[in-house]
Amino acid sequence: MSQAGFVLEGVGLRRGGAPVLTDISAHLPRGCCTLVTGPSGAGKSSLLRLLNRLAEPDTGRILLDGRPLSGHDPLLLRRRVALVAQHTALLTDSVAGELAVGRPALDAVCAADLLERVGLGACFLSRSTEGLSGGQVQRLGLARALATGPEVLLLDEPTSALDDTATGLVDDLLAAFVTDGGTAVLVSHRTAHARRLAGHALVLEAGRLTEAGDPARLRYLAAP
Amino acid sequence: MSVPAVPGWPGVAASAALVALAALLAGRARLGLAADMLVASARALGQLVAVAAVLAAVFAHGGLPGSLAWIAVMVLIAGRVAARRARGLPRAPAVATLAVAMATVVTVATLVVFAVIDTRPHVLIPVSGMVVSGAMQATALTLTRLHEEVETARPRIEARLSLGLDAAAAFAPHARTALRTAMLPAVDATKVVGLISLPGAMTGLILAGVEPLIAIRYQIVVMYMLLAAATLAAVATARLARTALFDDAHRLHELPAPPDGRSSPR
Repeated sequence: MSQAGFVLEGVGLRRGGAPVLTDISAHLPRGCCTLVTGPSGAGKSSLLRLLNRLAEPDTGRILLDGRPLSGHDPLLLRRRVALVAQHTALLTDSVAGELAVGRPALDAVCAADLLERVGLGACFLSRSTEGLSGGQVQRLGLARALATGPEVLLLDEPTSALDDTATGLVDDLLAAFVTDGGTAVLVSHRTAHARRLAGHALVLEAGRLTEAGDPARLRYLAAP
Repeated sequence: MSVPAVPGWPGVAASAALVALAALLAGRARLGLAADMLVASARALGQLVAVAAVLAAVFAHGGLPGSLAWIAVMVLIAGRVAARRARGLPRAPAVATLAVAMATVVTVATLVVFAVIDTRPHVLIPVSGMVVSGAMQATALTLTRLHEEVETARPRIEARLSLGLDAAAAFAPHARTALRTAMLPAVDATKVVGLISLPGAMTGLILAGVEPLIAIRYQIVVMYMLLAAATLAAVATARLARTALFDDAHRLHELPAPPDGRSSPR
């Protein structure tokens, strides 16, 4: 029986000889937002990198919709499974250029729509990336990832540079993405808002999975 | 009294007076270099005598096979030296050696095919030596710059990969930066040749009594071939380094942590 979404089977990852993730077995269901939380350095970001094949597990395997990730074409996979890094690395000198990196044929209407969705507004389309605030860059990173039309969004602290208004907007976007059938994996420390969004949660501590399940019932999330 | 164009051994011995002067100055200034200078000078003498002896043997008896063997040894040494600058890059010695070899083969073969030079050992070996040396410098510079680019630009490279770009496309802007930096010295040297420095081949011919207008012909060929060799070596290095830096799944390899303990971003 294959399960829809990501299934991790005994996944381990080492870096420079030191374990980053150890024996992770978990299910991240399709059509759901899974929160991945835990203390700093627990391996949360490394887990996201495994899911779009920027890194490869040293042990175990990962399946997407019942098929091992290693059997997916990595270039197609990364368009289906978009990673939004915590710190958006700007790649061009214009907002329009950023949106076109992953989708060169993107037209102006779609580009404007993407900017509206992340709360930047179509007026940003003609702007240079120089002088954008940290929060604006973070939202541009999200819009850039959405431009490839992904089924899965991997988000690493996507609201870390945002104020409450912008955070609410990104939350709404994510909720709509999941309602429309998308799958989200959200790495976040801000457990309060993440709990509102997430239907499932994983807690990582020192590279190990310590809890998994309904975000409302997890010990880690209940702690003050 | 006329002095010969090439000094005799008594002349060479007399020129050692300059080494003595330099060592004396270094000693008096307490630079701690006087002994080094004497050893280096003696070593240069020994190395050159040995090389001259081998070259004389190759010129006399080696023929084309001897020349090719000599060139192969130069390429191997150049590859090792160029790779030293970028120890953290995967397969750096293989990448550097292949790049120098490709640049040397293409450049020298072109000169031979177009009958610019012939294949007698005393022509082929010195010309190839200059080509290997130029290719080595370009290779070392390219590797060094690529290494720096990968260390500093990993987030940008991985951002492009995350957007579905393949390794070649994700790496291209960084390879371009490295190549430009690596090729600039060869381009600059070509621009100022004769104005700032009288280059070696031309100097040698003029010393041997050749008319300057004839001597520059060799120098023009040398500059053009060095420009080509540097470009070929740099481009080959970038291309080969890319295959060593990325795996089949278009993933950028982790580089070993540099010795000063900085860690790559997670």
